[in-house]
Amino acid sequence: MKILVADDSRVMRQIVIRTLRQAGYDDHEIVEAEDGADALAKVSSEEPDLVLSDWNMPNMSGLECLQALRSAGSRVPFGFVTSEGSPDMREKAANAGALFLIAKPFTADTFTEHLDGVIA
Amino acid sequence: MTAVQHPPLDTGERRRTGDARTLITSLIDPATVEAIAVDAWVALVGEEELLVPVPGDLPADTLSAWVDVVGPWTGSVVLTTGRQTAADLTRALLREAAPELLDHEDVADAFGEIANVVGGNVKAALPGPSTLGLPEVGPAPAVRHPEDVCRIDVLWRGQPLAVSVQGALPSLPTPHDNPHPNGASL
Repeated sequence: MKILVADDSRVMRQIVIRTLRQAGYDDHEIVEAEDGADALAKVSSEEPDLVLSDWNMPNMSGLECLQALRSAGSRVPFGFVTSEGSPDMREKAANAGALFLIAKPFTADTFTEHLDGVIA
Repeated sequence: MTAVQHPPLDTGERRRTGDARTLITSLIDPATVEAIAVDAWVALVGEEELLVPVPGDLPADTLSAWVDVVGPWTGSVVLTTGRQTAADLTRALLREAAPELLDHEDVADAFGEIANVVGGNVKAALPGPSTLGLPEVGPAPAVRHPEDVCRIDVLWRGQPLAVSVQGALPSLPTPHDNPHPNGASL
């Protein structure tokens, strides 16, 4: 299984990848994207099985990336990992087709709770 | 008989209401800011990493990381610590991925991301809708209005660190600023 991790912070991408491993998802291929536009391009070129994306990024936000993917017909499973988890944002995420929204700070248990059933 | 209409007593409340400005101290308290910071530290820096609620003197050479919140309350969530402590935080976040020599970009990324997580959770505790800016790193933004600040001072690994939730708008008008005796605003 291939997982695309999109975050403009390299440190946060590493923390997300580390947390995936701590949660037991350590045998999956990881691809990194540094903003929403990069993630959009890499969904086409890398064909990941899951996208884990930050919300607030330069160039293209995570929400704009998800909306562009759905407009183009992509059904790739998509979840947010973001520093904001307000009810308004959760609603926007769900309406755009996101499977879940994990608010930072998170733990390995948070990942397990949201990803079990999504990651085979 | 017609009741005499007295003008309302000028308490300043109307101006504050008219400005739609509420001070941060009535929206969030230091205990909430501290709880948010502690949660961020445990998750990002490490489970054993404690923030001790003891104020310390910041060194002369400090670095700040902040995010702006724009909404019913507008301001910045600013983390400030010594430059060396910011570098130590970066190593703690990167763990085995930390390079032998950190460059400014590494520190800006790591310290900025901590500010982003703390700021995002502070924003969630404030009335919305608000937007959160991207993290910035540099000299601390000036305190625009000392009364519109909720600040905590803690120690991490014995080193001082401050988290300041501070209003970014110009000072609130005070009664002597307003030339109109009825409190009308221009």
